[in-house]
Amino acid sequence: MNFLHMTENNFSLKKIEISVSEAEKRTGRNAMNMQETYTAYLIETRSVEHNDGQSVLTDSLWRRYSEFELLRNYLLVYYPHIVVPPLPEKRAEFVWHKLSADNMDPDFVERRRIGLENFLLRVASHPMLCRDKIFYLFLTQEGNWKETVNETGFQLKADSRLKALNATFRVKNPDKRFIELKHYSDELQSVISHLLRVRARVADRLYGVYKVHGNYGRVFSEWSAIEKEMGDGLQSAGHHMDVYASSIDDILEDEEHYADQLKEYLFYAEALRAVCRKHELMQYDLEMAAQDLASKKQQCEELATGTVRTFSLKGMTTKLFGQETPEQREARIKMLEEQIKEGEQQLKSKNLEGREFVRNAWADIERFKEQKNHDLKEALISYAVMQISMCKKGIQVWTNAKECFSKM
Amino acid sequence: MSGGPPKALPSTGPQSLRDMPHPLAGSSSEEAVGGDSTPSPDLLTARSFGDKDLILPNGGTPAGTASPASSSSLLNRLQLDDDMDGETRDLFVTVDDPKKHVCTMETYITYRITTKSTRVEFDLPEYSVRRRYQDFDWLRNKLEESQPTHLIPPLPEKFVVKGVVDRFSEEFVETRRKALDKFLKRITDHPVLSFNEHFNVFLTAKDLNAHKKQGMALLTRVGESVKHVAGGYKLRNRPLEFAAIGEYLDTFALKLGTIDRIAQRIIKEEIEYLVELREYGPVYSTWSALEGELAEPLEGVSACIGNCSTALEELTDDMTEDFLPVLREYILYSDSMKSVLKKRDQVQAEYETKLEAVALKKEERPKVPADVEKCQDRMECFNADLKADMERWQNNKRQDFRQLLMGMADKNIQYYEKCLMAWESIIPLLQEKQEAKDDSVEKKGRNAKNSEHTVLTHRISSFVTELSLLIKASDWVPHVHLSRQRSPRQVILGSLEAGVSRQTLPTRLCGRLAHSLRPSLQSRMLLEGGKGDAFSPVGTTPG
Repeated sequence: MNFLHMTENNFSLKKIEISVSEAEKRTGRNAMNMQETYTAYLIETRSVEHNDGQSVLTDSLWRRYSEFELLRNYLLVYYPHIVVPPLPEKRAEFVWHKLSADNMDPDFVERRRIGLENFLLRVASHPMLCRDKIFYLFLTQEGNWKETVNETGFQLKADSRLKALNATFRVKNPDKRFIELKHYSDELQSVISHLLRVRARVADRLYGVYKVHGNYGRVFSEWSAIEKEMGDGLQSAGHHMDVYASSIDDILEDEEHYADQLKEYLFYAEALRAVCRKHELMQYDLEMAAQDLASKKQQCEELATGTVRTFSLKGMTTKLFGQETPEQREARIKMLEEQIKEGEQQLKSKNLEGREFVRNAWADIERFKEQKNHDLKEALISYAVMQISMCKKGIQVWTNAKECFSKM
Repeated sequence: MSGGPPKALPSTGPQSLRDMPHPLAGSSSEEAVGGDSTPSPDLLTARSFGDKDLILPNGGTPAGTASPASSSSLLNRLQLDDDMDGETRDLFVTVDDPKKHVCTMETYITYRITTKSTRVEFDLPEYSVRRRYQDFDWLRNKLEESQPTHLIPPLPEKFVVKGVVDRFSEEFVETRRKALDKFLKRITDHPVLSFNEHFNVFLTAKDLNAHKKQGMALLTRVGESVKHVAGGYKLRNRPLEFAAIGEYLDTFALKLGTIDRIAQRIIKEEIEYLVELREYGPVYSTWSALEGELAEPLEGVSACIGNCSTALEELTDDMTEDFLPVLREYILYSDSMKSVLKKRDQVQAEYETKLEAVALKKEERPKVPADVEKCQDRMECFNADLKADMERWQNNKRQDFRQLLMGMADKNIQYYEKCLMAWESIIPLLQEKQEAKDDSVEKKGRNAKNSEHTVLTHRISSFVTELSLLIKASDWVPHVHLSRQRSPRQVILGSLEAGVSRQTLPTRLCGRLAHSLRPSLQSRMLLEGGKGDAFSPVGTTPG
């Protein structure tokens, strides 16, 4: 639970705590009036009194996953220069056999609850995102929030993916740092996916190893029944084998938290790529505008001087159908000059926009890098600690078993 | 040396039993050697030692002496005393130094058998001979023949499926050597078997094959007689204790079989776990190459997982080599014990039947009782030997399993300790602050080496990635049937071939798509940019 500062209408600052405290299965009717089952999550916001540090519950409302998605999509459109925190996965992936791939499975719901809380905390602790009105309303206004978001018309403002794809390919001079960043995010995505897949298989196998030891428990018990002196030792050793076999459940549950931490950064890679894409789009736009301006200038010059330097359709039609009158030419030149003036202004502002974007985006990317290095280091440390704990448990159990065997 | 028949040279050929003095005899060896002539060289004959009615080492009972029961119980006490008092141990046998022999007909392994003994049965205090598995097999058969009332320890399995197991691999040979060593040590520890003539020959003869050919049937009296026990007698009442032993052995073998299966299953699961670990570790390495500040921590984790993998491999090897074979031996042991029990049943059956027959006939006093008495003799001897051996076996079994299971626990503890050490050692590495490792500096350094070629390849590959993502999201090609089996690349090509309406894509983009997926044209595609622009021509190889 973090202490955060939030602005409401930029008028007052409040210290708040956010938590996603509960999950509940609900049934309702969907857009097509069909019955559906979904999970709703309780978001509680507490404001903290400055003096005594006590928190008072200020808001509490229920939201479902799709509303979180809506919020995020909104943030992506309005803050394209920010690496927007990702949501926990929509469907369970990288499962190993014991984990259910079912969205309704209580373990999955629990891990999602934690992921959603993490998302809200990350947004709320971001210096820019936390000031957003829609985010504030998400936490405080249960009814009508969806309509409010849609009224912003953010969906219309979203860049078409197709346009972005085109730009990605055809842009000539994107900032080199963004190229590198995109490449990095691609590779990061690839390596973390691989890691998660193999980890799931490792978990599967480890589960098998531990569980088979449980069979020792049973057979030692049966064997002890026919033995005189060996009986007690065997029996108690068997009990320890049972303990060993059942210890794996908790161990692997803990490891899932590590996997979730990795998954967050897997999805963060996608957010990184989105920022790069936006840059490429803006840059391409700029380049196209510059190109357009240049060609108009050339046209103007040609018309003025009467020389034709490049092959153009106009030139050809002129050759075929005869020259135009001087008046016509004058008119055209004037039009072009106006367009050129406009174009130059546009280019200027686009340039400005582009540079500002790069500056802001890069600042956030640096912030993100720090966060990533810190978080992943913490994740690795906690993973190592988990392994250490697992080893210690193993040593304990086998030492106990050895003692029992020694009494045989 | 007293006069008499010349003493046979040591370690060549057998020494006839009559030349062997009784271990507990007070007389000196020299006196006994070359001593009295006795009637039948093949059978151990009785000797009178005055008031000591002792059973001679190979179990033969002096005829016409006091009841065997008291003698056997006396011997039992002696046997147990021998066991508990380590200082009375006077025979040490070791199996080591396996060597491979390659001959024209076959290839095989021999082992060196070293014997150290102060016993008078051995002419020299020390012997060193070479034996192969065949020889051990011969010894065991001979022991079974000559000591049918005793439990003979098992040998490791004779047959090995060729192609599955390498008979000459270090691990296999070492496992076998240990088992053969155990076999001989068990015999050495046995108060009766260790004095067996065949055993002596095995340990001492320079040329065992020559001796084998001679085929001297040095059976004990009981052995001889048991050999000739006819089967087919029905057993009336199995004494409770032997019934209990039989039941015990049945359940015991069953449980051991289960444990063997469980152990094998565990090893199998551990090996599969190991396979995954060996893929898991290196992924952290790959990741580390992408990072700046995280590079060292990630590399550390990768190395750590590597160490754990090695530790696991050692564990599975140990369990395969040390644990499983001993289990299997005991299963074989209990099998051979069951057949000895059966023989005992037969001996008893014969006795009971004959006794019954006598009870029916009232005449023929003098002759029949002697015959029946012989049977009774046999049976009681057998029972005594078996009981004694069972007690010894139970005791040894307890110690063997105690050692075996403690060993298993130990190996697992060592495995976890190795892993613990690996993980604990990287915690400080993970926690330490990385100085001045800037991500961008790292990447810049790396990219400076890259030519424009790589940059272009990146653009192509990320282009295709982007496109694939779009198709996945079904953003703009709604009427293309997305089949799971086809990769996005194939879908792109397919949709182009199917003549997707140009309205769904900007015309130029469509054309570029077609080119982009034909590797040979990739470089040209880059050169032919938009209106009049051009990349500098690069000699790109189709990526």
